[in-house]
Amino acid sequence: MSLPRVLCARFPHLALVVAWRGHPELRSEPVIVGGAPELRLPVLAASAAARASGVHPGQPLREAQQRCPEAAFVAADEVSVAHLREELLSRLNRLAPVVEVGDEVAWCDLTGRHAAHPDSTGWAVAVARCIQELLDDDDIAVGVASSRQVAEIAARQAGPHHIRRVAPGEEAAFLAPLPLSVLPLEPAVAARLAALGLDCVGAVANLSAADLQRQFGPVGMDLWHQARGGDGRGEWSPGHGLGIPDPPRRLGERILLEGGTGDLEALRFAVHRSALDLGDRLRHHGCRAAAVILVCELEDAEPSGLRITPLQQPGSGAELWPVALELLAGMALTAPVTAVRLEVEGLRPGAGRQVDLWRGGDAAGEEIGGVASRLRARFGQTAVRRAELTVDPGDLPERRFRWIDPVAADAGGEGRGARAAGVATELTAAGGASEGSRGRTSEHRQVTAASGVPAAVMPLLRR
Amino acid sequence: MPTPLSEALATLRRRHGEAVIRSGDALGGVEAWPTGLPVLDHRLTPGGLPVGRVSLLAAASGASGRLTLLQALVAVASRERTAVYLDLVGSLDPGFLADLGADLSALLVLRSPSGRWGEGFSMARSLVVAGAPWLAIALPAAGAGSGPAGGSRPRSDLGWEHRLSTLVESVAARRAVCLVSAAAPLPAALGYASSLTLECAADGWEEAHGDVLGLRTHLTVVKSKVSTPGETAALLLRYPRPFAAAEAVGRPAVVDLTATRKVLDVPAVASDIPAVAG
Repeated sequence: MSLPRVLCARFPHLALVVAWRGHPELRSEPVIVGGAPELRLPVLAASAAARASGVHPGQPLREAQQRCPEAAFVAADEVSVAHLREELLSRLNRLAPVVEVGDEVAWCDLTGRHAAHPDSTGWAVAVARCIQELLDDDDIAVGVASSRQVAEIAARQAGPHHIRRVAPGEEAAFLAPLPLSVLPLEPAVAARLAALGLDCVGAVANLSAADLQRQFGPVGMDLWHQARGGDGRGEWSPGHGLGIPDPPRRLGERILLEGGTGDLEALRFAVHRSALDLGDRLRHHGCRAAAVILVCELEDAEPSGLRITPLQQPGSGAELWPVALELLAGMALTAPVTAVRLEVEGLRPGAGRQVDLWRGGDAAGEEIGGVASRLRARFGQTAVRRAELTVDPGDLPERRFRWIDPVAADAGGEGRGARAAGVATELTAAGGASEGSRGRTSEHRQVTAASGVPAAVMPLLRR
Repeated sequence: MPTPLSEALATLRRRHGEAVIRSGDALGGVEAWPTGLPVLDHRLTPGGLPVGRVSLLAAASGASGRLTLLQALVAVASRERTAVYLDLVGSLDPGFLADLGADLSALLVLRSPSGRWGEGFSMARSLVVAGAPWLAIALPAAGAGSGPAGGSRPRSDLGWEHRLSTLVESVAARRAVCLVSAAAPLPAALGYASSLTLECAADGWEEAHGDVLGLRTHLTVVKSKVSTPGETAALLLRYPRPFAAAEAVGRPAVVDLTATRKVLDVPAVASDIPAVAG
């Protein structure tokens, strides 16, 4: 399987291109798109000359006029911009299987090979020329890398009329000398990293994932991925080929019982051994499991399996064994068992998070929210709830409040809300069969054992 | 010259660490969570509910005000930290809690789907281990009333005592506050797990103009591992006016009748309320 390759092309704002088409004489002049400066509207786009005077998108038009009095102000032609965007999208679709087009940036999936182009460089040149011909502008910068984020940074670094190509595996080296401002960081996180003396991406990449996770929680894990050339987990888009492969989220151990057996003691031993081996691998990865699955493969019958969301996420063999035993006790076996398969899903970093002295003790809140999500996954949505008073209760006491999801309600700000929702979604996703379909890799090992032998002999079974 | 005792102590310290043997004066006192209600904080020797221990509000029989007192304390706790309410009675009214001044956004309500005590204790333990600092448990009478549909407790609720003991261990390990409200007859395991048992006994309704203002109740410390038992107090558990959450914060829902011997904080109807003996 070929590694993902993502192309990012940066070009002048489409509204600016439309303005230039209508007024070719303004191509070398400072141009501001958004409307007349008397209007209380923001700047939609600005030419390079206007930007050099301090004008930027989002700025009030009146302020833009003060900063660049000689600029020409043009109203945005939204219909023409939409037509131009559609045209660009259709042309790029002829060159790449997956395309995203924005007003100033376009993304193409260059994973694999193209029959008309010998390598990814030629392919990228073709895409760049396509954009250049359509927009009739040379001010196009292109970056190609293994992840969406690095491709965008490479495009910014490339400059106009250039292609910056980051070879697979060299993303971290490319990012290392760059300032941290190239990464999309929350201001509080950036300020704290600066206070710690971390001024470039390489300095952050050298920290361990556990350290960053302890300091910043889920944001720290995103930062760790981004500093090493990946996309943040929250931005990963499965199926688009624009993301990086995720680390294993599922581990499994399988023990074959030769000939099949119905002896509960032999099954118990096999499950115990699987649990200990799987626990060792969990400890090796430094992970805890959100869900545990036990499957017994039966002779001449469909496999029988049970899945459980443990209250305490197991991270070692000692913690996994009681959960596996509970699953085995609940199994109704109708035929001799030929193999036992123990799997863990929803792996998450096992290290606890350090209380953040700067942002208050929200680490405890995250932990409690995670447990509440697991309790809801196991016992149902009514097991853990939070009440909220209704705005217009009426006269009936039962209408005074409504029950809500505690995790969603825990989201104080926008950022926390996204993270909390992420926890719940992830746990839900871990429960279904969609795990494999989302392209996440699984690691499974197989152990062969003879059945029908006394428990005392079982340790001698071959692997 | 080493004695057999000193050698044994040295061996234990070498094998299990320095912390396994300490002198009695090094154990330290019991930390308390001040309830903010002077009537309780003045009478309970640690200065409130003991932290890392299980406290129990028990009732001799019938209406006693134990659940109202529990919910008044939950309201206080929710205003300063995350509180968890394990509702095994199945009758929690969040509106009433709001009237008592609770911050509902800081309150997690647990309900065991099967109605089993053991399952509920396991759920509560998970949250305590995760860091929930304040846990309230409302238990029905041991014989009935805990099923999801209000029926009797499921027969399959075996081994809840073991789940309770693990919960007690977790409360101690995480330094949480745990307050349990239970009706008579009190299960032996619950009484054993409790470090502080307060018995509530109703002393009559507090009425004015034909309206019930609240419930007068006697509180007795019948068991205490952290101080001397035997303290008593007389309380008026005043029911809040519905939809009065905003003003409830400023007005105590629990009034100390022992000290005042009269309800003084309701001036509009004070003349109609007789003095109440402590």
